[in-house]
Amino acid sequence: MAAGMKKKTFLAPLGKDNPVFVQILGICSTLAVTNKLENTMVMVLGVMFTIALSSWTLSLVRKWIPSRIRMMVETMVIATYVIIVDISLKAFYPEMWKQLGPYVGLIITNCIVMGRVEAFALQNKPTLSLIDGLASGMGYGYVLLSIAFVRELLGTGSLWGFKILGSWWTNWSIMVMPPGGFFMLAIFIWIVHESFLKKGKEEEHA
Amino acid sequence: MKTQNFYMRRIHPLVFMAVVTIICILLTASLHLSTFDRVKNNEQFFLRRSILDAAAIEHDGQPGTVATLYQDSVTETNGVYQVKGSDGTMRYVSQLTGPGLWGPITIMVGFAEDHKTLTGVSIVSQNETPGLGARIEEPWFTRQFVGKQGPFRRVEEGTADSPEEMDGITGATRTSESFKNIMNRAITESATKSGGQ
Repeated sequence: MAAGMKKKTFLAPLGKDNPVFVQILGICSTLAVTNKLENTMVMVLGVMFTIALSSWTLSLVRKWIPSRIRMMVETMVIATYVIIVDISLKAFYPEMWKQLGPYVGLIITNCIVMGRVEAFALQNKPTLSLIDGLASGMGYGYVLLSIAFVRELLGTGSLWGFKILGSWWTNWSIMVMPPGGFFMLAIFIWIVHESFLKKGKEEEHA
Repeated sequence: MKTQNFYMRRIHPLVFMAVVTIICILLTASLHLSTFDRVKNNEQFFLRRSILDAAAIEHDGQPGTVATLYQDSVTETNGVYQVKGSDGTMRYVSQLTGPGLWGPITIMVGFAEDHKTLTGVSIVSQNETPGLGARIEEPWFTRQFVGKQGPFRRVEEGTADSPEEMDGITGATRTSESFKNIMNRAITESATKSGGQ
């Protein structure tokens, strides 16, 4: 396997094939967990772990999975990894689990996980699938973290729970509520498309 | 040829799925069992800490000290935790659940010997909006009840200045209102309990 292939697989989800702002996948969690950086970070780590390992596992057994039941097998493997994340958090980071308990289970329904397995892992070798999963998780992660940064800062005047802006700052409550998520995501997608992706598309068409 | 076809089409997927399921269940079940004691200890620690907090017993938040303090000063009868303070007075702590905005809110409420004056409030579990309703967990919010007798009336955040007023949380009016109702119920229940004795 050429090193160039690995590099390409790694870079695509970070830029022109980004799961969030190009494929528009995983939007529900992007809206739900981005009002606090801390919650977002745990969600991102959980998703990275789940995508990478379920892509790897399913790629290992891809030749034996009967195609008619492949989705059931995929869901089963993904759910197993999510439960592993959930139980580990519960046992070793109980304070964090108390805050994020409900969110962790949501990783199962994150369409990026199943999307990468279906679109990539079932056609490619395990190592390459692992890289693709990890990179997809990172591509998802930095979009979420940048949205969470703005939402927490404007919505509560703090970052990672610490007060940044002084008492002169009036909190924009709308930022921590669901509409704030919609606005920020739309603005993010708009900026990225206008300034980075448009140029690439024009070249393709020319 | 035909029987093999039947096997591959009908039986093989079933067998494959069953095997995958068994492997997955074995994995998660063994992880669950191996961390079971740890999880139980964590839960017990959280419960004990919230009882001590509601009874206004000072502690450093370490599992060891919380366990010792709890064993030294708390006795439980019929769901009421009787806590002996360092000054010798008794505090009565009980758990209470009421509806929040998204799900139930469970709190520990502590009363002094007169069953009327609040010694503290701590949150056992809640599921409110992070950054808004979830701010009921912040110390400034729970500490405002200490030394007061209620029943409470909700006012805007930062404007409470009489003992009957409770600071609400801006942007979380319904959570604040639900919390106020739970607090007032705790106060009524404590008064009837002590009156019946």
